[in-house]
Amino acid sequence: MGTQRQSVGRHGEDLAVAELERQGLEVVARNWRCGRLGEVDVVAVDRTGAVPEVVVCEVKCRTGLGFGHPLEAITWAKLRTLRQLAAEWVRDHPTGPGRVRIDAIGVVLLPGRDPQLTHARGVG
Amino acid sequence: MLASTWSVALVGVEGRMVQVEADIGGGLPRTVLVGLPDTALYQSRDRCKAAVTNSGHPWPATLLTINLSPATLPKAGSHYDLAIAAAVLAASGVVPLDALRRTALLGELGLDGRLRPVPGVLPATLAAARAGFTRVVVPLRQAPEAGLVDGVDVLGLASLSQLVAELRGDPVPLVDPVELSVTTAPGVRTGVLDLADVVGQEEAKWALEVAAAGRHHMFLHGPPGAGKTMLASRLPGLLPDLDAVDALEVSAVHSLAGFDLTGGLVTRPPYVDPHHSASVASIVGGGPRIARPGAISCAHRGVLFLDEAPEFAPQVLDALRTPLESGTVSIARSELNARFPAAFQLVLAANPCPCGMAATPGAECRCAPAAVRRYAEKISGPVRDRVDIVQTFLPLRRSQLKAAAEGESSARVAERVVEARARQRERLRQTPWRTNGEVPGPHLRRHLPPPHGAQLAWDALDRGRLSARGVDKVFRLAWTVADLAGRDRPSRDDTALALAMRRGEQPGTLVREVG
Repeated sequence: MGTQRQSVGRHGEDLAVAELERQGLEVVARNWRCGRLGEVDVVAVDRTGAVPEVVVCEVKCRTGLGFGHPLEAITWAKLRTLRQLAAEWVRDHPTGPGRVRIDAIGVVLLPGRDPQLTHARGVG
Repeated sequence: MLASTWSVALVGVEGRMVQVEADIGGGLPRTVLVGLPDTALYQSRDRCKAAVTNSGHPWPATLLTINLSPATLPKAGSHYDLAIAAAVLAASGVVPLDALRRTALLGELGLDGRLRPVPGVLPATLAAARAGFTRVVVPLRQAPEAGLVDGVDVLGLASLSQLVAELRGDPVPLVDPVELSVTTAPGVRTGVLDLADVVGQEEAKWALEVAAAGRHHMFLHGPPGAGKTMLASRLPGLLPDLDAVDALEVSAVHSLAGFDLTGGLVTRPPYVDPHHSASVASIVGGGPRIARPGAISCAHRGVLFLDEAPEFAPQVLDALRTPLESGTVSIARSELNARFPAAFQLVLAANPCPCGMAATPGAECRCAPAAVRRYAEKISGPVRDRVDIVQTFLPLRRSQLKAAAEGESSARVAERVVEARARQRERLRQTPWRTNGEVPGPHLRRHLPPPHGAQLAWDALDRGRLSARGVDKVFRLAWTVADLAGRDRPSRDDTALALAMRRGEQPGTLVREVG
């Protein structure tokens, strides 16, 4: 059961990384851990805008909508953790861009259908 | 995507158009409702979400901002649900953006997507028509109420799914409508009460006729069981039908109070008789943020009967003073100032003392003199002074009860009242007033010929037996007595009779006189 859930999450992250790369972002880390604080699913650098930005991206993947849209599962507390993680990343990587953005990508995997990705930019 | 629809904010009986905007933007799924909503309106978010999803349409999984404009006007109530849901559906592309132009939407949504009736449909529809809107969507069972307004198309619907089908041009599904909870308007039972049922009390019946003809306020004074309540409840039956303007005004107030208007406009004068435990807010109107009409506004163009008047809280009675003069009531709260019409005819009834026997000859009153005085003083002087007719009742005697000659029917008295009203309208046709009871003192004294015997009233004023306002009241009554008798100007006897009625002289001193 546990491994199944992990594999669903892994698959969702793969799809999210593909989506970010399609948009022209450079993925620089996956599953970056910071002590007890937690983990960032994907870290990317966005040079498509006027100013380069580090994108700290949370990926939520669900195989049904019975419990609502995956993006609805990103709570205020989760956003707070993401903000702290983003600050830690910038401290750890002083040579990268100083500007940080937090994105969220919701992936819905329904059996027999193409995966649906929803990309919300600058959520926190 | 941005879409907008229209609804109506009600401040008193006045309606203002409110634009409901829905914006679907990026961001985490969240629904924000801004524009000074009250609690019932704020919860509309959650009702609309359930109603939309249960009607088979997705609720946007993004940041959804709903704005009610003008943003500074406080908004209250659940009737914005339909406009909010429609704006969201238009913003998410379910219905065409331009399908709701010049259309006002009114109605509360159930979680199943069915439309529920809301108070205030009539004044809201009136406001929409005046603002140039051509179509109003209302809950199905309230379509007849909205249809009372000329110049707008009324679309009565049972559910949100019916609205979507209607706007997309799809076949409209069949849905069981939510029925009205039946709240009967006051005054509907006046038809069955006839003046012929009242035995004896000929003088009081005559006073009632005068009160009906001139819209004079009355104070009924007498021992328990003499027929005060019986008589007061027969007053609306003597009054003529409301004219078109009044009917619309009264119906608008009743719609706000949540009374059922499916039977059409209110055309009979309402009769409201609140219990003496009533609070000030229930009588004059009010509420914490939204102002609701009180008993005096529900009795607009009708009768407000306060039985056992001394038992009412003194501040309740004194709150009647301003509306009695102005015919409207203005309720101020921190965020809004609502005005309701309140041109009611006041009838007070009271026992002379706590045991009820003080004024009855031959009966033994067991109350201490101080107690009798205290009881009488519970109706303050300023309120008493605004009453035109003071009518004292005597207990019925055996001979009167047994004789029981069939009295005059309400219909016959009402005919005389209609004639007297016609004379008044003719005399007052250049003025904004229609009955003697409404005519202000200066007009009465300057623009109408003085009644014969006016000196009687002036003498009473000199002796301190009548206030300055009392003189005007005597003149008004004298005119009504003359109108009932078909005279062009009050005679000396009319004025003497008016003075006695105003001062509530002991029964027996009045001479009944019908021309």
